[in-house]
Amino acid sequence: MAESTEKVESGSDARRRILNIAVSTVLLETGFDAADKMSLETLTEMLQCFFTEVGNSAKGYCELSGRVEPVLGDVVMALINMGISLQGLEQYAARPNRHVIQPPLQASAPRTPAMLSAGSKAKPAPHIPFHLPPLPDPHAYIRTPTHKQPVTEYEAIREKAASQKRDIERALTKFLAKTSETHNLFNTEDNQVFPLIACKPTFPAYLPCLLPTDQVFDFDELEYHFQVANRTEDMPPDKKGDQSDNEGENMGDNENPNSSQLDVQDTTMASSPERSKAGG
Amino acid sequence: MIIETVPLSRMGSPSVIEDDAGAGHALSDFLLQLENYSPSIPDSVVAHYLNASGFESQDPRLIRLIALASQKFLSDIANDALQHCKMRTSSQITQSSKNQKGPKEKKYVMSMDDLAPALQEYGIVARKPHYFV
Repeated sequence: MAESTEKVESGSDARRRILNIAVSTVLLETGFDAADKMSLETLTEMLQCFFTEVGNSAKGYCELSGRVEPVLGDVVMALINMGISLQGLEQYAARPNRHVIQPPLQASAPRTPAMLSAGSKAKPAPHIPFHLPPLPDPHAYIRTPTHKQPVTEYEAIREKAASQKRDIERALTKFLAKTSETHNLFNTEDNQVFPLIACKPTFPAYLPCLLPTDQVFDFDELEYHFQVANRTEDMPPDKKGDQSDNEGENMGDNENPNSSQLDVQDTTMASSPERSKAGG
Repeated sequence: MIIETVPLSRMGSPSVIEDDAGAGHALSDFLLQLENYSPSIPDSVVAHYLNASGFESQDPRLIRLIALASQKFLSDIANDALQHCKMRTSSQITQSSKNQKGPKEKKYVMSMDDLAPALQEYGIVARKPHYFV
């Protein structure tokens, strides 16, 4: 017999197997020790056909006499019609060596797991018939607001807008002071107390937007590569101060790029306090 | 539960009616005996096959009766097949000179050769297929 590799077999297979067992039981009681597979299958098939035939004709006899539920007489008629004699049935029932097969265990129906269920389903109203499907989860049809009612008072809105504007400005200036170049308010090297955003105008101002450049991770390294690539020992000196970029990317063909940066800073340092006052 | 004993033939002669009525009574008595009897085939399996052909009964005794009848049917066929098998093996043993297999150690294996003639007596023709489709 082909072994079923699945754990759960279909209902028809299980019943067929039980019929197989029943036939084997009968054969054992008769005196056989083994049976051919084909003959076992033949007898099982006969048994199944027997049940079907008896059920069919008993149902027919029952309906013939105008009833719906079959009765002993219908079954007897069906059996006799098939040619099965009922004479020795009692003796057969009382035979000594009979085995009883265990009825098949009821497999529990796999419960579909309640997925994504939020809350319990509401009871249907009494005017709804009971055979209709249950109500869906309450979140599917109950409306709850997602946010509070916003304040529409003029004063509150003006105040909110003003505080937001101030917060944005403050945060942005702090960010620029920490990330970009800064001027020092006092004449010290320490830049932490009052950093001012460096104001380095370039001419033209739209030039860095027009020239696309890669992101620079390390300015010193970039300058080194740039210098190595563009050595200008024999270049005319008028090209040195041409490019002054506040980002410091295109430092020009200078041998002392750091000094030039400091020069630029010093020249603009005088004017920066007045400018930064307005922006600080 | 009221058991109806339907007379098997109302148009027959009085003697026949009595016989049939007697048989009907016997069967209804037997039905009472079936209350505690459990045949080899489980009730649920038999009920399923009967339901599949339209026969639904709330009375488990009817189902047990049918199960018992089917069992008896099968055992009759099996008995006939056993007879055929014994005839064949006894003829084989008398043909062979070895006497190792005594009558006690005989193992009967049912094959289609025994089953086919047994079924033929019942009018069922079981033919072996030439090939598997």
